[in-house]
Amino acid sequence: MSTLEVASLGKAKPGYIRKSMYGPATDTGLPKMRAADLPGMVALPVQALFPDIPKAIYVEGDDLAPIRKATAEALANVDMSKITPDSSVNILTSQYGFMIMGGFAYREMVRTIKEIVEQRTGCTNIRLRIATGFRLKEPEEIIEHYELDKMFNGKVSPALYIDRAIAIDTPIGKLMGIRKIYDADYIIHVHHGELRELDMHRMISRTMKPFSMSYARFETRSVHHMNFGPRSSNLIPRLIFESPFVQQKFTFGVFMAASPQGVVGVEAGNDLMPIDRKLMLLAFKSYGKIRELYNEIKDCVCIIDGTGEPRYMVGGGTTFGNLTEAELDLFDLDTVPVSLGFGLYQPPPTQPKLKAVNPAIRALVMNHFWTGVPQMELATACPMILVGREMFKLVKEDCMNINMARHVVTAESLPAALSFAKKVAQTDKVIAFDGAYGAITCSEALADHLIKRAPIAHRRVEEELMPKWLRQRGFDPSEAL
Amino acid sequence: MVQINYRAEVIPEKCTGCVDCVFVCPTLAIKMEARKAVIDETKCVSCQNCIGICTDDAIVKIERPEPVEREVDYASVDQDEILEICRRANIHPMQWLCLCTSTRAREGAAAIIKGAKTPEDMALLTGTRSGCTVYCAMMSMRLLKGAGINIPPSHKWHLFDTTQSIWDVPKEVVEKYSDYFLVEDKDVFRKF
Repeated sequence: MSTLEVASLGKAKPGYIRKSMYGPATDTGLPKMRAADLPGMVALPVQALFPDIPKAIYVEGDDLAPIRKATAEALANVDMSKITPDSSVNILTSQYGFMIMGGFAYREMVRTIKEIVEQRTGCTNIRLRIATGFRLKEPEEIIEHYELDKMFNGKVSPALYIDRAIAIDTPIGKLMGIRKIYDADYIIHVHHGELRELDMHRMISRTMKPFSMSYARFETRSVHHMNFGPRSSNLIPRLIFESPFVQQKFTFGVFMAASPQGVVGVEAGNDLMPIDRKLMLLAFKSYGKIRELYNEIKDCVCIIDGTGEPRYMVGGGTTFGNLTEAELDLFDLDTVPVSLGFGLYQPPPTQPKLKAVNPAIRALVMNHFWTGVPQMELATACPMILVGREMFKLVKEDCMNINMARHVVTAESLPAALSFAKKVAQTDKVIAFDGAYGAITCSEALADHLIKRAPIAHRRVEEELMPKWLRQRGFDPSEAL
Repeated sequence: MVQINYRAEVIPEKCTGCVDCVFVCPTLAIKMEARKAVIDETKCVSCQNCIGICTDDAIVKIERPEPVEREVDYASVDQDEILEICRRANIHPMQWLCLCTSTRAREGAAAIIKGAKTPEDMALLTGTRSGCTVYCAMMSMRLLKGAGINIPPSHKWHLFDTTQSIWDVPKEVVEKYSDYFLVEDKDVFRKF
């Protein structure tokens, strides 16, 4: 760590941006310039900061063979005996998997699962279901972009939260699933272990969350987010998953495990609880230090420059939502920030979250993102500068943030936007959320700061936080080694 | 105040009459006439659910010549009545009713006092359900129930009455899943 010099850092390599109707309608559908191409931006390797963060078997652009191999190995001990040649099977996927590192790793995992299930069971009626967040046409875009129709011989369908319902009996009454998710004899749950929105899931029932989100109709998503607290809400997916209806159909789960370095492996099993524990440990080890490093940033400008909504856009292999909440230790189950239901944005004074967005974020430059999630707090909590008229049009027409356009300014180019943002923020520390794994795309000034603060974040996690996180979940310290 | 700048419009020659759009509209603004979808533009809140569900791309978004404004002034009704509805619904008046439109629960309660009887009425009065249509659905139903109003049965798969909240979890579930903070998380929702 100590030998890392800013002068030796290389050029940053941003993640792939997929074109979408939910992004700005520029000539190419892509930004004119990426944040990584700005003068003074460098790639700060995560490995050099924290050598003990689990290493990747795949990063964007690599050969996909390790994904295929890891998936096959993970499936080797999975019991598929429920599935017979006459069965119908739905492979359940979510849109976010296709955002991770360009989406091809997730695609390869799905393809491998399909082929192995066919080989081992003789079943050929295997269908793909693609669930989504709020962008209702996104599954259609995914199907086309990744040629999934061809992969599944036409047996592929979006699963939308407004689609026809199926009622699922749980100990708290009926909850509503999406019928298309469950319209086969059996289901295979294919997800990822990326940290994504820790403020929501708190690493509680992480593996099951899609059962009350991706696979659920809007009534149940609303029950989860609005009617329960930040920790208790994670009971909803567990109750659905454990329901007789789902258990009758569930065969096994497969998870693309990730760290800020990239994809670190594949976990699979018939029982989700052991996988839940594994992913929990992986999250502590993988993301704990990056989160604490982000907590060491006291002033910065953020550039949003990738595929998807800002909160889930990746920088240094970690989603932006983890910087917006970096001042809180959200792995700590004793910490109770406000829930989405209360509003995130104007918490009562007795709650620890005093501001909607980490005050260290002094300005936001929006170079490229997709609409599709309520995120007004980003524009009201700190100055937001949009890049280009197309981006302004996108924001102006966004029905999920109807007043956002009133809170932004627009610059003609990325350099102009950044120049203005730096003046407003009075800092030259810049970080880009550009989809990159394995390295943090940042300015030299921020790189210098992070290199100096990494040992402090490392020590705090090892000596103070990790023991607490483990103790709270009943882990024996030996399990964490 | 919620300003609605757009509306949905059907392209009749593309509409196949599948009726999917009818049941996803949060304000029930869509009806079928001669096997074609017809949208009542006075009721359209421009949420775009119909556009999203239509696999034939037969519905498009159109800019309104003049924006439609929807707002319920909570200050114009009896504040004690607002508090009573919210208290019965276990919702703080300042809790969000709708994140997309930045509408608070007190405005939803005021809409009920002003005559809203259904979630669709509430959407039309307050302008909520004009964004994601997801989170506000539950809050509207909880407020209506808090006011003693029964939610009508779902029109096909339009909207199901499943409003379970942290306040309704049976004791045996609380005890069985004690590591989910079901008791402790009640403190998150400010008591009043």
